[in-house]
Amino acid sequence: MDIVYQVVALLLYTPLIFVAMAGVGWGILGGALPGISPSIAMALLLPLTYGMDPGLAIVLLASTYVGAEYGGSIPAILINTPGTNAAAATVLDGYEMQKQGRGGEALGISLYSGVLGGLFGLTMLILLTKQLSEVALAFTPMAYFSLGVLGLSVIVSLSGESLLKGFAAALLGLMVATVGSDPISGVSRFTYDQPELLDGIAPILVMVGLFAVSELLRQASVPVWDKPMGEGARLKLPDGPMRRRLIKPQLLGSVIGTVEGVMPGAGGTIASFMSYNEARRWSKNKDEFGKGSPEGVAAPETANNTVAATALVPVLSFGIPGSNSAAILLGGLLVHGLLPGPRLFEENSGIVIGLYTGLFVATLSLLALGMLILPVCLWLVKRPKAYLMAFIYVLVFSGIYSIDQSLFDLGLVLGAGIVGFFMRLAGFPFLPAVLGVVLGYLVESNFRRSLVLSGGDHTIFLEDSISLGLLIVAGIFIIGSLSARMWAGWRSLRGGSASGSV
Amino acid sequence: MFNLVSKIIVVLVLVITGHVAVAQDSYPRELITLITHSSPGGGSDIFLRQLARFLGPELGVDIVVKNIRGGSGARAVAELISSPADGSTFYAYTPTIVHTSLLSAPAYTYQDLEPLVNVFFDQAVVYTSSTSPFGTLNDVIETARIRRGRWGASTPASLERQALEQLKSVTGVVPAIVTHEGGGDLLLNVLNGTLDIGVGEAQEIRSQLEAGRIRLLAVFSENRMKGLPNVPTVKEFGYDLVLTKFRGLAGPPGTPPAITAALETAIQHLLDSSEYRAVYEEAMLTASYMPHEEFERFIGTFAAETESFLRNTGVIQ
Repeated sequence: MDIVYQVVALLLYTPLIFVAMAGVGWGILGGALPGISPSIAMALLLPLTYGMDPGLAIVLLASTYVGAEYGGSIPAILINTPGTNAAAATVLDGYEMQKQGRGGEALGISLYSGVLGGLFGLTMLILLTKQLSEVALAFTPMAYFSLGVLGLSVIVSLSGESLLKGFAAALLGLMVATVGSDPISGVSRFTYDQPELLDGIAPILVMVGLFAVSELLRQASVPVWDKPMGEGARLKLPDGPMRRRLIKPQLLGSVIGTVEGVMPGAGGTIASFMSYNEARRWSKNKDEFGKGSPEGVAAPETANNTVAATALVPVLSFGIPGSNSAAILLGGLLVHGLLPGPRLFEENSGIVIGLYTGLFVATLSLLALGMLILPVCLWLVKRPKAYLMAFIYVLVFSGIYSIDQSLFDLGLVLGAGIVGFFMRLAGFPFLPAVLGVVLGYLVESNFRRSLVLSGGDHTIFLEDSISLGLLIVAGIFIIGSLSARMWAGWRSLRGGSASGSV
Repeated sequence: MFNLVSKIIVVLVLVITGHVAVAQDSYPRELITLITHSSPGGGSDIFLRQLARFLGPELGVDIVVKNIRGGSGARAVAELISSPADGSTFYAYTPTIVHTSLLSAPAYTYQDLEPLVNVFFDQAVVYTSSTSPFGTLNDVIETARIRRGRWGASTPASLERQALEQLKSVTGVVPAIVTHEGGGDLLLNVLNGTLDIGVGEAQEIRSQLEAGRIRLLAVFSENRMKGLPNVPTVKEFGYDLVLTKFRGLAGPPGTPPAITAALETAIQHLLDSSEYRAVYEEAMLTASYMPHEEFERFIGTFAAETESFLRNTGVIQ
């Protein structure tokens, strides 16, 4: 009863609702701008929160995170460019839908799934923080390595028509991930004495280059611009039959998102790729995936919004930030002299209750703000292509530049764009490369850390039970996807009617 | 016009945070910018923002903190060097830029900076899970003689790893020294029993210490910490190892001696004030005032030691 009173008081007597909405609005904007990641959007706000009431400051930051994780899907669907790392998997079917003139429907599905995912994650956060923190604790370096391998196993099914090209693209991504200080010994690798490269190349730069810049280059090289947008480009929330169809991918997305979210370092990108993959595996309409499947939008978008809530578990229970965004939130707590950890729940329960209430308001206002903002976005992409392209160029480059005011980063994005342009020409898929960049560091550093622990004995990966389990699952995935591919290839040879597994 | 706008913003910020500066005419500038390479909310950022709250009224000036990230400190230092040496801009000097200078070739290195005054040492502590069998640092070392010890440090180029490598060589045991991405994943691996011990900043493990999930075995400081009188120093176990993770202020080369002197006096005075003391002792920082000349000598020794550590461990050739 006491808690109910506290929540009502927070809602009525403090500006909590406005703060949460402001955070979400700013977050959607930041997430939707390619290059401005959730953590950057939060970092830009952080100095403003120093003078605020600590409870409201945390709500503002957390709502920004919620908004940004959702906002990333908007450019992924509309202009083939994920606004955040975790929205990369949404590009696959979201942009296909947009090309078919179903962009409004795709945006509606991602908004609806995002809100559901956010509510699910929040429920898990409130009810199971203690249990989930034990999950995070059970992950040793060996288990992280195997988790990364499991993530990489998705490459087999993301490779499009040619497995070889998929592997080549993944290898390219893994190579990019080796740039920077060696994770175990500290030796500088491929940095050519540039201090900008010491921390490695940020995946967001590679992604913006590969997707956005290469798309712009391609568009510029097409003499007559096609006009994909026509009827049905209105925002459309899913109706009854569609909602029933989306239950399965959303359930997969929220469960995977909950588990991945609590692990420091793993985060939203693995969650969204894996739930995309699982949604396809268990779908009745497998063939639609990659050609504009609503389920292919729902699964990753549910997952990455679930992660936005459960990623708070390690911050609140250990004071350990699992991602850059969580690190900013941690900074926000520390500045106000609040020490996250088990004692936060006892000594500052007001802050925690405020945070949960704020997250709830934020998730709901996602729906309202989304319905306000999305029609504007849809209108924007219906402008004549020449204006649209120029606008996107400016958006992308100013976004990247505004992160650190670094021309070096702009150069990296342009370089990645040129590589992406030629990959497009030669028919290499981008997503394996993105997975390689995102997971390369996780896989490599934990592989080598484990071997330092064991003194070079590789059986350590089989002794850890979680690691062993994940490796077995990865093995089953790889064999399953490969045999499905071979089966499809054999069938198309026999029957002559092509029905690829992607 | 721009000047006016920025002044209004500064005043607003100060009013909002409730710390309106009282002008004392003792310092030649009205506005000081403190630069850090740390992101908002990071260690150096919090250090500067808390310092600014007290240093502003002390000097009778307005202070703003500016985060210039990227290049592991190289860009922040480049910005400082291009600022006028008139006491209007300082940089939060930490070991980071020394490491960056040794590991890569930034346009300006730590040698281009003028160390002005040191304020704190961060304390590195040896900790273990409260469910582990280790009662003292000696237990850990003796265990490492019987089986392969598992010792954890944060990043590969960190001072904490340096300390463990030194401990390894003076004790003659051969444990695995496992480096991490930072203090966070290290703490998890100590908590879940993957590692025997971890070495980290006292600040990072504070919440788990209060929750009773970890136990402190030793501290790498000259004397026992005020906040932790029961934790022995590594020196007390007979190993002469002291970690000096400094936090100070640097200026552009050629900073006038009058400015340096004003800063020295102000910092000394602040460190003795009870209000500031409460803030920094809560954050487990140890006051380690060093005036300009001493700080300069200290940096020279520190950089030489760091360089030889990085060479001996094969990090640089």
